Amino acid sequence: MPFWRRESATPFLLLTPAMLTMAFVVVFPLVFSMYTSFTGFRLTKPASLYDWVGFRNYARILSDPEFWIPFGRTVLFLTVVLNVEFLLGLGIALLINRITWGQRTLRTIMMFPMMFSPILVGFMFKFLFNDNIGIVNNALQSLGLSDGAIPWLVDGKLAFFSIAIAEVWMSTSVFAILLLAGLFAMPRDPLEAAKVDGCNAWQTFRHITLPFLMPFAYIAMAIRSLDVARAYDIVTVMTDGGPAGRTEILWTLIGRVGYDNSRMGMANAMAYVSTILSILFTWYFYRKLVAARRYMGGAQ
Amino acid sequence: MRKITALMVGTALVAVAGMASADETWGDYAGYTLRVKLIGGAQYEKLYAEIPKWEAATGAKVEIVSRKNHFELDKEIKQDVAAGTIDYCVASNHTSFAPQYGDIYIDLNGVMKPEVLAEFDALALKNATVNGSLVQLPRHSDISNLFYKKSLYEDQANKDAFKAKYGYDLAPPETFDQFKDQAIFFAKAPDFFGTQFVGKDEAITGRFYEMLVANGGALFDENWNPTFNSPAGLKALMWFKELYDAKAVPAGSLNYLWDDTGMGFASGTVAMDLDWAGWAAFFNDPANSKIAGDVGLVRAPKGDGGKRSGWSGSHSFSITTTCDNQPAAVSFVTFLTDHDNQMIEARQGLLPTRTQVWKDITAEFEAAGNPFMVEVFNTYSQSMAEDAFTPPLIEPWIEVSNVIWPNLQKGILGEMEPQAALDDAAAKAKVIMEDAGYIK
Amino acid sequence: MSAVVESQTSKQVKRAGLTALAFLLMVVMCVPGLWVVLSAFRPNGEILAKPPVWVPENPTFDNFRKIFGLGTDQVAIPVGSYFMNSLIIALTSTLIALAIGMAGGYAFARYRFRGKGGIFLGLMLFRAVPGIALSLPVFIIWSKLGIIDTKLGLIIVYVSLNVPFTIWLIDGFFRQIPLSLSEAAQVDGCTRWQAFWKIEFPLARSGIAAAGVFAFLTSWNEFALASQLTRSTTSKTLPVGLLDFTAQFTIDWAGMCAMAVIIIVPALILTFLVQKHLIAGLTFGGVKG
Repeated sequence: MPFWRRESATPFLLLTPAMLTMAFVVVFPLVFSMYTSFTGFRLTKPASLYDWVGFRNYARILSDPEFWIPFGRTVLFLTVVLNVEFLLGLGIALLINRITWGQRTLRTIMMFPMMFSPILVGFMFKFLFNDNIGIVNNALQSLGLSDGAIPWLVDGKLAFFSIAIAEVWMSTSVFAILLLAGLFAMPRDPLEAAKVDGCNAWQTFRHITLPFLMPFAYIAMAIRSLDVARAYDIVTVMTDGGPAGRTEILWTLIGRVGYDNSRMGMANAMAYVSTILSILFTWYFYRKLVAARRYMGGAQ
Repeated sequence: MRKITALMVGTALVAVAGMASADETWGDYAGYTLRVKLIGGAQYEKLYAEIPKWEAATGAKVEIVSRKNHFELDKEIKQDVAAGTIDYCVASNHTSFAPQYGDIYIDLNGVMKPEVLAEFDALALKNATVNGSLVQLPRHSDISNLFYKKSLYEDQANKDAFKAKYGYDLAPPETFDQFKDQAIFFAKAPDFFGTQFVGKDEAITGRFYEMLVANGGALFDENWNPTFNSPAGLKALMWFKELYDAKAVPAGSLNYLWDDTGMGFASGTVAMDLDWAGWAAFFNDPANSKIAGDVGLVRAPKGDGGKRSGWSGSHSFSITTTCDNQPAAVSFVTFLTDHDNQMIEARQGLLPTRTQVWKDITAEFEAAGNPFMVEVFNTYSQSMAEDAFTPPLIEPWIEVSNVIWPNLQKGILGEMEPQAALDDAAAKAKVIMEDAGYIK
Repeated sequence: MSAVVESQTSKQVKRAGLTALAFLLMVVMCVPGLWVVLSAFRPNGEILAKPPVWVPENPTFDNFRKIFGLGTDQVAIPVGSYFMNSLIIALTSTLIALAIGMAGGYAFARYRFRGKGGIFLGLMLFRAVPGIALSLPVFIIWSKLGIIDTKLGLIIVYVSLNVPFTIWLIDGFFRQIPLSLSEAAQVDGCTRWQAFWKIEFPLARSGIAAAGVFAFLTSWNEFALASQLTRSTTSKTLPVGLLDFTAQFTIDWAGMCAMAVIIIVPALILTFLVQKHLIAGLTFGGVKG
């Protein structure tokens, strides 16, 4: 019997299409960009593709604060937005879970921000946060809460805050919906038992609901960290890393170095470092998920 | 009666079309499809509505492969260079960007009729030349002059208060120092601002650069060593910083690009706006602008060096070396920049690159009783003739700009001492120039 | 007696209060998006008005008319072809990703094989590579293959973007279905293939629908790669088309808002239709295992 007719070959046959697409669209290009990260490749000079420079690009970026500062900012940004999205999503899910009348409508409204393309979210918040004609300042001024034009996208801290708001607005729904799904799946018995045992609402939540929800939370985190580079669209539209590099994150930096400055070799070296960062984030949440699943399995 | 008028208009149109084809035959390229990449956006599109005329005259078809703003187009063309996918004949270009593209575009000298080239403005052609090769045919030019809100300067109370405070008469500024005084004088943040500036990207590098030159400085010395951290450069940076610190410009300025400055001035909350001519008609149109009828215009101010700022460039068309039908491409770009088509662009306020169009458009606005637009074209024609200069036409210009502007922002925001910010940018620029082989 | 009634009414009041709070919160959350939608129906002057005008005073369809080329001074934006491109690309890539994901998810859920954990994790991690890092290499390879500016080129990319998450969700869902069901069917004379379509697939439908919605939304809204790999009306998608409203010197907010509405509406309709499945599908997909 040939290999492919054997029962043991079936899973590999089933997985072949998935592995082929991934190899074709991700692995193959990654090998190519790995090669270019060791060259002085400049977009406008095709011949420079063969200009081998060894580790020079890596040595340069790893010793350059102009790389490490955006790197740190990216990590900070991811940490802040993922946690805020989780907390807000949790709050929304808990609230909606308790509603009986009109829940379906609420769920649909809740998913409204998921319909927005990241690039659209960027334009939208750029417009809302415009210091002169933006609706945020206009509203604050007409409510009498502020008498000045707050430079949302220029002030260092506010600009970071503004792009974080845009990102949180776009992605909180994903957390909310996954956590809501978790709440729906939750067995009733432990809750009832806790009530009988005299646990108060907080204790029930802390010791029963939350542990049950954590796998859902880690799934959401993992999905979001797979996808978080989408924030590139938002940041590039809202501030493009400015002013004075105060909102520069890895992806905008890579875009500028690679395309505006044509230094693709250097940009790909940076891209490699950022790829490793993304992979670490995803891997971390995946481990957490596996651990949480085990915990759940053990508890049941 | 109406029929007769229609008939007359019809005949006139036929006559015009006849004239155009009489002094220029566009050739016969029946069955050929010309692939082009054009800059998109409202101000540029009117011209493209004329393309069917060229198609009708030549029998060719024009396929617009892509139509994007120039920053996006720039990325796309660089990708094409990298991947070797230049499968089109004509592309939009710009004097600031052209030097980056190496030798993907042909030298138009020799393929275009000399008598046609002779009708273009000599300076515009010179600025379109990179390393002795005319890689682009200028379509329209940009340069900035100072728009101001007239009523502010006519108000007696303003005049008195200004004279008392600054010791000279209030009049539209002649120097950047006066510009700064008046901007601070008029500003009442957050409701009203003295002026505004574009605060990021090549836009603020360009502004800085033109003030540096106006102050008597230069970006590089003759050996391509950066020299913009000179006293003239510091003075230019301080101009931005002082206005920003005095809240004479909107706090968001550092995130502004050209659309923000134009919209801001049209909203009536800004006293002065150094801007290109493309906005002129918009500013004076009551449907779009709150200051229609109240717009004054003077030439850009002078710096310490006694020179006016005059950062200038042209949008243009280039023909690729890989083009499979060069005569058709030449015919197409000649058509797009011919007299009648430049008139169409000029009616919106875009500055023509043909000398004859300057005369004709001014005459046309005069005849139509539009003194404002006549003034606009007179002012801009003077500055194009006397003040215009381009950024250095070198390949790393955009890259150098990308190290200058973040540091300008740092200086303005006070994150770095202004002199230190310039020194740091100069050091980085030096590395770029070394890498690019300009500094041996 | 009255105490019971009282506590019941107070419970009702509390519940009504909670419901009101929930609705209020959701509406507040939607305000930024609603502002865009409302702005699609007002003239530019009203968008830039100071103080702000919340509810359109002069509702108008001019912005839509303009982008469809029915206005006076604006050149039409080929929204029709962008829309069709987006639809074809998003639907095709979603369907292919689902097919591949079902095969893969089934393999992970039903078979034991060497390197299982590693392959699974590997698929996830490759998905974590940021688009900007892929954009140039993909562009160069695609141009050698001649699929730049084609729908096919973008479909291939989107399939691979969506496969890992799809596998993940569907894998979790198949695990929920007791193996005994399919085994019983096989005892009754079904082949494994028939058992899959008759027993397991119908039970997994909600999970597949949930995965499909996520895949569709990702493809429908993707910008970074589409902006690199598409050029002309033969392949440009709606999010890329948004940039048509930004020229070097001006941004046409009103037109952009109108376009935004055109992008959002189909996504909203689809999500609303499969909303029930979405929650059900996510409940089991991926978590247990």
